[in-house]
Order: sequence, then structure tokens, then C-alpha cells
Amino acid sequence: MDYIKENIKDGVNLHLIINDNFKTDYTVIFLTVPLEKETVTQNALIPAVLKRGCSKYDNFKKITEELEMMYGAFLECGVDKEGDNLILKFFIESINDNFLPEKNNNIIKSIDMLINIVFNPILENGKFKENYINTEKQNLELLINTQKDDKDQYAYEKCINIMYKDTGFGLNKYGSIESLNKINSENLYEHYKNLINDSKIDIFISGNINKEEIINQIKDNQFIKSLKPREGKINENHYKKELKQKIENAQEKIEEMDVSQGKLVIGLDILPNDLGDFRFIAILYNAIFGDGVNSKLFQIVREKESLAYTAKSLYINKKNNIFIKCGIEISKYEKTVNLIKQLLEDMKNGNFTEEDLQVAKEYIIAGINCIEAEQDTQIIFLFGQELSNLHLTVEEYKKNIEEVKHEDIVKLANLIQLNTIYFLRNGGKNADN
Amino acid sequence: MQIIENNLLKEKVYIEKLTSGITLICIPKEKTTKKYIVCGIGYGSNDNHFYIPKENREVKIPDGVAHFLEHKMFEQENGVNSLDVLSSLGIDANAYTTNDHTAYLFECTDNFYKGLDELLNYIQNPYFTDQNVEKERGIIAQEINMYDDEAESKVYINAMKALYQKNPIQIDIAGSVQSINNITKEILYDTYNNFYVPANMVIVVSGEFKPQEIFKEIKSRITMNNKLEAKKIEEKEPQEITQKEIEAQMDISMPIFTFGFKVNPDEKEKVKRALAIEILLEILIGQSSELYEDLYENGEIFSDILSSFEWSNNYAHVLLQGKSNNIDTIEKKIIQKIQQLKEKGIDEKQFERAKRKIYGIYVKEFNEVSECALLFLTNYFRQINPFEYLENYKIISKEYTESILKEVFDENKMVKSVINPN
Repeated sequence: MDYIKENIKDGVNLHLIINDNFKTDYTVIFLTVPLEKETVTQNALIPAVLKRGCSKYDNFKKITEELEMMYGAFLECGVDKEGDNLILKFFIESINDNFLPEKNNNIIKSIDMLINIVFNPILENGKFKENYINTEKQNLELLINTQKDDKDQYAYEKCINIMYKDTGFGLNKYGSIESLNKINSENLYEHYKNLINDSKIDIFISGNINKEEIINQIKDNQFIKSLKPREGKINENHYKKELKQKIENAQEKIEEMDVSQGKLVIGLDILPNDLGDFRFIAILYNAIFGDGVNSKLFQIVREKESLAYTAKSLYINKKNNIFIKCGIEISKYEKTVNLIKQLLEDMKNGNFTEEDLQVAKEYIIAGINCIEAEQDTQIIFLFGQELSNLHLTVEEYKKNIEEVKHEDIVKLANLIQLNTIYFLRNGGKNADN
Repeated sequence: MQIIENNLLKEKVYIEKLTSGITLICIPKEKTTKKYIVCGIGYGSNDNHFYIPKENREVKIPDGVAHFLEHKMFEQENGVNSLDVLSSLGIDANAYTTNDHTAYLFECTDNFYKGLDELLNYIQNPYFTDQNVEKERGIIAQEINMYDDEAESKVYINAMKALYQKNPIQIDIAGSVQSINNITKEILYDTYNNFYVPANMVIVVSGEFKPQEIFKEIKSRITMNNKLEAKKIEEKEPQEITQKEIEAQMDISMPIFTFGFKVNPDEKEKVKRALAIEILLEILIGQSSELYEDLYENGEIFSDILSSFEWSNNYAHVLLQGKSNNIDTIEKKIIQKIQQLKEKGIDEKQFERAKRKIYGIYVKEFNEVSECALLFLTNYFRQINPFEYLENYKIISKEYTESILKEVFDENKMVKSVINPN
């Protein structure tokens, strides 16, 4: 694997990942902006509108017909939340020409199409097409309204929202209905122009590609040429930024819906400390505590006490948080919460073995070893580093994991506080069966 | 050893059937750090009724036994759980149960042979006790409750109930909280002893392997040698559906639907037919179809209509799934479109595009060791090899596809399952 980063102009970077072990090539464009209440809804709407058509292919049917002619190339446009930033992502996965019955220039076509979709939208009287905006506004409204249908994800997002309110990470990545109602084709197009001028732009191309050919194609593209240099300012996206306040008592919030299973989400904070780059300690703390089948959480809550089928925790390094997620019998809420509190105390008291630590290291390193074996994971890994501006090779990453000691984890455990306990349960008569 | 290959994919696959009856399949992949292995047992949730000739005994077991067995296989006599052992070696291990098979698998970059020891050891040495069976009940009950909260699971299983009169595919793979209460260690042993036998087993590996070597390593770890005696008892499934419509309510914000078409499973040219159906689904409701454009522009759907053809040796159906506030309109338009295609035939260009799209989907499956191993496993239980799809791709014609359209998309065999908000 070869990784080449080429600065096209200020705030616009091309990343090439050259490998010959996949049958597909990826073309990805990321536009990154700070996640803010005022703009999140407009930003969420833009990928959906752009996907409808561009000057070259003026409707979605034409886009998909072209994708099909490229032997089922796959296009996806959407938004993702990464800490306090919002990422508008556009990608095409296409089959490498080596595996087609004929030469089809799939990668050249993919790049051309994706650039057209992002930078060359179809306009009507100098603004976005009215009927595209109307349908996509309606769709986004439905998307926001149906988010609560996925109860697990809803509970997780709700817990984050309780902790951060309506700022940055606490915001819904799809925005709000209230803001959506104020959007029209004119103001959205104005917003789009600002987005294209100001956002941090990263283009990733991965696959068995010809480096020179691709670099020239991108640099010579008229829409890339016409991009202005920009600061590409985003919110700092790493652990050093986030300074948590000490709190005395965790907040507890219980919500009712018609569910068979209770969804428990617990948000934890990692307090400011002098442990240096403690991400690796936190990764291992999380692995011992709640990530994977050998974790305390899985072994005790699921295997020993039979309280849950899913029981895991998740470390969000950009926000210095750990989130615990369990699907449990509704009547076992208090029992489970008390058990989890006890497990957190055990970690503080260093009640885990050297072997537990070793197992956790194996588990994490196995995950790191797989990064290069998956084309999309590799892009996400490299883009994550680009956003945090903390660059480590896979080998350095592993070395940092290897070096963490038992005592480091105990120190970190004593800096972890309960912030929020959220429980989604059913109400009324059917409870506690 | 049999070698099959495909020149377009540039892949070779090695197959060996051992005298004990186990089939071994190796898909060598250079330049990848990952190694993947999956062991499949031809025993799934549908197999809840069987006969053991030498004991002259007919057995009916509670719903959910195959899945319960899958959970319990990891438990070892020395008190350790094999899933924990594998995970502590940095190995990502898992298992799953389908209607017609159960699979035990792992993926790793290092420690493959230690993992292989553990995998083949736990599959060949079950350890069930009253106590460990009891413990698992609580965990599986939570798994069942989790799916109960997912409208997608409910709308699917209801569609199966509407499609099938006898076939156990209409029963949840995990069973119900009530049915798993009746599962005992005796039932688990009885099922294990009858179906976890070499003749009912396939092992697929993919990664940087030399076929001869890996086959030798696997063979040296096989200890089981009992014969497959039990005969599965299947009730004959009538061609007719059970009911046209089925509806339920859940705490959701927008109705969701599954339309199903019941298809006759025991046909010749299985692969060619499956390919034709997949092409037809693209033409009917794929993203570039007129119908999709119409429904989307009119706000009748707001995401894709997912279409699939699911089939095994004893069932086959086409499914169309989505969310909408206008389900009746969608139903009407789908029926109209099918009628129109039957009358006017398929457009040549559309046929070519759909064909190319399906080609790409198959090629992508060979990207990763896990995907291609599972592709071979699933198709092993259908008695076909996945290269046949690409071979048929070259020869499939518009006329043949049109004949399948007439046979498969029969309005009399169409069902509608809907979950409405309560």
C-alpha cells in the first residue's frame, strides 16, 4: 500500500491510496464544517439535493443509468457527525477495470461523476431546482421524524443530547424541522456557495490506480481548478480540546415508549489530567471494561447475570466520553445500573489482572491489523487522522497500545465520572413481564 | 481435489470431499492480512421435525433449538467459553443460525492455527448442563425482545406467515420466549448428535493459504466420524399462499411494508433463474426504473424499495420492502408495472444495464475474505457454486428473463405485510 497526500490548494487535499488487493476502487469527497445549530439542517439537506442531479446528469435517473453502465457502481451521499464537526460525504465504489469483461475506464468515470455531483449542481434561475428542494425537504422531515423508530440508536443519541444539549456533538446530524421550514431553493443555494468556498475539502481515491493519471485528472478538472484557496477551519477534533467539569451527581433521565426491551445508555466523562496522550490508555480501559466478549461488562452483565443480550461500551476520543449501551429487561433496570456502578468502582480499585490487560491489547491490535485489509476502513482511518491532525502510522499506533501499563489504566479509571444515565422503557400496564 | 476457476474474477477455488463426508473449500487470497474460516452445519431453524430410523423414533422439538444450540456450543467442560478464548487470541469469532444452516466462524490476522484448534474442538465437543442451559435462556430472551422492538423483523416474519402454510420459515429463528422455556440439555444433545456429523458439514477458508496445507491441517483436527442417520421430516408446502394481507401495529412513525411473491423452489436452472429474477427486480423497481422515479418524485416513497430473492432447497420468494404513507398506491403501481412488462416485454437497454449492475454486485463479493467465504458456504447448501452466476451472466437472454417474469410475478401469489403506527 502506498499513501500519497497532495495539497491541491489551501484547504483542499487529494489523498491517494494505491493498493492492488481489491476488486473495487473508491472515490470519496469529504466536505468538513463545524457542527452548528444554525447551519446543520442546511448542511444535512445539501447531499440529498446534490444527489438528485447535476449539470451533466440532470436527474437521478440519468445518474443511476450511468452508474449501472459502469457495472453497478455504487453512489452514496450523506452526513456524519465527528465530534463537533459535520462531514458531508460523497462516494462512489466501482469495479476496477481489471475485473470487467471489457475496458470501461470506471475510475476515470467515477471521479468525473462525483466531482460533477458535488461541484456542478443543476440550477434553475440561479438557484437550486424548486421541485428537488421540495421533495428533499419533505424526505428530510420524514427522516427526522422516523429517527425514533430505531430505538437503540434513538436512546444513544438522546443520551448524547442530554449531555451536550443543542451544541456541537449534542446536535442531531439531520438538524431540526424548525430550521428545515425556513429553507428554500434560494437561501440553500447561497449556503451551498459558502460551503463550497469555506469547507475543508478532502478527496480520497483508493484502488489499483495510476498515480500520475489520477493526479492530473483531478488537477486539470475545471471545477477543482475554480475552487478558491480557503482556511478550511473546523473545530479542533481531538482529545486535548475537551475539558470536562467535575460533577457531584450524575443526572438520570427515564423516558417511556412502547418497547419490549429497555434500552439503557450511560454516558461517562474522562476528566482533565496530566497523563499525556491518554487515548491509548482510554482505548484499553474501554476494552477491559466494556468492549468485546472478554470485557467485564459482557462477562458480568450478560454471561454471569443473564441481564442482557447486547452489553458494550464505546470510547469517543474526540469528546473524552465513554458510552455504555445495554438492552435489558425493563424490571432489571436498577439491578443493572448498580452492577455497572460496581464494575466502574472495580476498575478504579484496579480489580483487573495483567492477563485482562494483555487480552485487551491483543483485541485492539487485531483490530488495527485489519485496517489495511478493508478499503473503506483504511480511508476512514486516514481521514480521521487528517481531521485530528494527529498522525501515526499503524505501527506507531500499535506501539503506543503495547506500552500502556496496568497502573496507567487505574489512574485513568479514577478520572472517570458518571455523567448521565438514560433509560428508555415502556410505560403503564405492560411493564415488568 | 477439485479446482474451479473464473477468469474474469481471476479467482481459483479448491474443493475436497473427505471420506468422512466433510467438504472442504479453500479460496486462496494473496496480499491480504486477514484469514477467515467458517464451518457450516446443514441444520437450521426450519429443521424442527425429524425421524431416526435405527431407533424408529420421530422427534419434534421446540422452536428455536438450532439457535439455542449455536449459543451453547461455545461452552466447554473445563468451564471456559470458546468465544472468550478466541477473542483473547485477538480473533474475531462469531456464529449465526439461518433457516437451513448454522455457521461458526472467525476472522484474524494472527494466531490462525490456535484459533483453528479451538474452533474444531468446541464444534466437536459439546458440553450442556441444566445450569448452563438455564443461564442462556435469559440472554436469548433478551435477544428475542430486541428483535421484537424492530419493526423490520416483525414485518418480515408476518410476510412469511402470509406466504407459507406449512414451511417453518414463518417461525422466528430464535423461537419465542415461551418456546425456549421448553428447551433442555437432552433436546440439545439429541439434536447435536443427530445433525452435527461430518456428512452434514462444510468448512470454507479464505486468505493467504496453500490449499493442500490448510486441508491437511483441518483433517488432522477432525475427530468426529458418526454417520448421518436422522431424516428431516418436511411437510409438503402447498403452492398457494396463506393470506393476501397481514397487518400489525407498533410504536413507529411511518408505516412499513413488505410485499412478497411465493415462488416454486424445486426448479431446474436454479442459478439462471435467480439471476433472471435479480435482473427483473432492477428493471421493475431499481433506482433507474420508471416506477421508482414516479414513486419518488410523487413523494410516495422517500428511500429505496429494497428488493431481494431469497431461496433455499425448500422455499423461494421475492420480497419488496420499504416505508411509505401510501402503501396501497405503491401496491397498485407495482401490479400495474408488472402487467405492463408482461405485455410489452423488457426494454433492451434496461436489460443490459440491469445485467451489468448484477455483475458488479457479484464481483464485489470477492473483495473480502469473509464475503467470498460466506458466498461459497451459502451456495454450498443450495448445491451450486457461485461462479455459475458469472457463467450464466454471459448467456442469459432477454427472452428467458421475460419467461421468468411471467412465471414468478404472479398476482395470485402476492402477499402484503404492513406495520402501521399505533
